[in-house]
Amino acid sequence: MSKHVGNWAPILMAALFAAPSLAADDVPLNKDLTAVIALQGLPCGQVVSVKQQGDRDYIASCQDGNRYHVFVNAAGRVVAQKQ
Amino acid sequence: MSDSPIERRPEEQLTPLACIVALLVVLLTAGCGGVNQAQPSKAPETGATPGGAAAVEPGGRPTTLPSSHPTGKSVTKTASPTAKASAKLPASPAHTEPLGKKVSAAPAAEKQQASAPLDLASLETRLKETKAIGLFTKIALKNQVDDLLNEFRAYYQGSLKTTLAQLRQRYDLLLLKVLSLLQDSDQSLATAVGASREAIWGILADPKKFAAI
Repeated sequence: MSKHVGNWAPILMAALFAAPSLAADDVPLNKDLTAVIALQGLPCGQVVSVKQQGDRDYIASCQDGNRYHVFVNAAGRVVAQKQ
Repeated sequence: MSDSPIERRPEEQLTPLACIVALLVVLLTAGCGGVNQAQPSKAPETGATPGGAAAVEPGGRPTTLPSSHPTGKSVTKTASPTAKASAKLPASPAHTEPLGKKVSAAPAAEKQQASAPLDLASLETRLKETKAIGLFTKIALKNQVDDLLNEFRAYYQGSLKTTLAQLRQRYDLLLLKVLSLLQDSDQSLATAVGASREAIWGILADPKKFAAI
C-alpha cells in the first residue's frame, strides 16, 4: 500500500497545486462577462452560459433569464446589448 | 476545687470564641479585599486603562474567594461579580489591544495616504497585468476611465455643466468598481489603488496638474 501511495503522491501533489494555479491564470469568461454587465449597470446576477459569435463577441445568458450581446465595437468600447 | 473550674471556664470559652471571631474578621477582611479589587477590574472592560488589566491579574483571587464562602451569602454574592469579571478578563485585554492598535494604526494609515508615493505608471501597468480582472472587464473599465477623463476635460473647458462634487462622486464610484474587482484576487493592488485614491483625486481636481497628464 505504501508503495502505491508513494507512487501516486507526487501526482496528487502536482494536481493539487496545479489546479489553483490554472484557475488563477485567467479569469473565467463567465466571470469576466458578469463583471462587464455589472459595470454597465445592467441586471444579470451571474452569467451562466456563454456562446461565442466571433472575435470578442459573445451572447451571455444570465441567471435571472436576461441575455446580452457583449462585444467590443469598432471604437474599442465594450458594449452589452440586451437581447 | 470549685474555684478552679469557674476560673478556667472563661478562658476555655474565650479561646474558641476568640479563634472564631478572629477567623471571621480575617475572612470578612479577605472578602472585602476581594470586593475592592473587583472594582478596578471593571475598568479594563470599558477599555479605560490597560494598566487595569495588570491590576486585575492578581484576580487569581478566585483562590482566596472560595475560602470566603463559609462566611455568608453576602460574600458569595460579591464574589460572583469578581468571577464574572475574571471570566471576562481574557476578553478585556483583547479589546483594549486592538483599540490601541486601531488608534495607532489610523494615524499611520493617514501618514501612508499623505506620503504615499503616487506612481501612476506602475499602477497602470499593474492594472493591465493583473489576473484578477478579465480582458473584457479591463476594456470596459478603461472605457469608463476615459469617459471620466473626458468629463473632467469638458468641465475645465467650461463645456460641461457639472460640479466638482458630482465629478468626485463619479470618480469614487469608478474607484469602488475597480476595488470591488480587485479586492478578492489581488489585494495588494487593491490596497495600492485605495491608498492612491486621494492623490489621484488631487491631480484630477487641480486644472494645472490635470492638464499635465
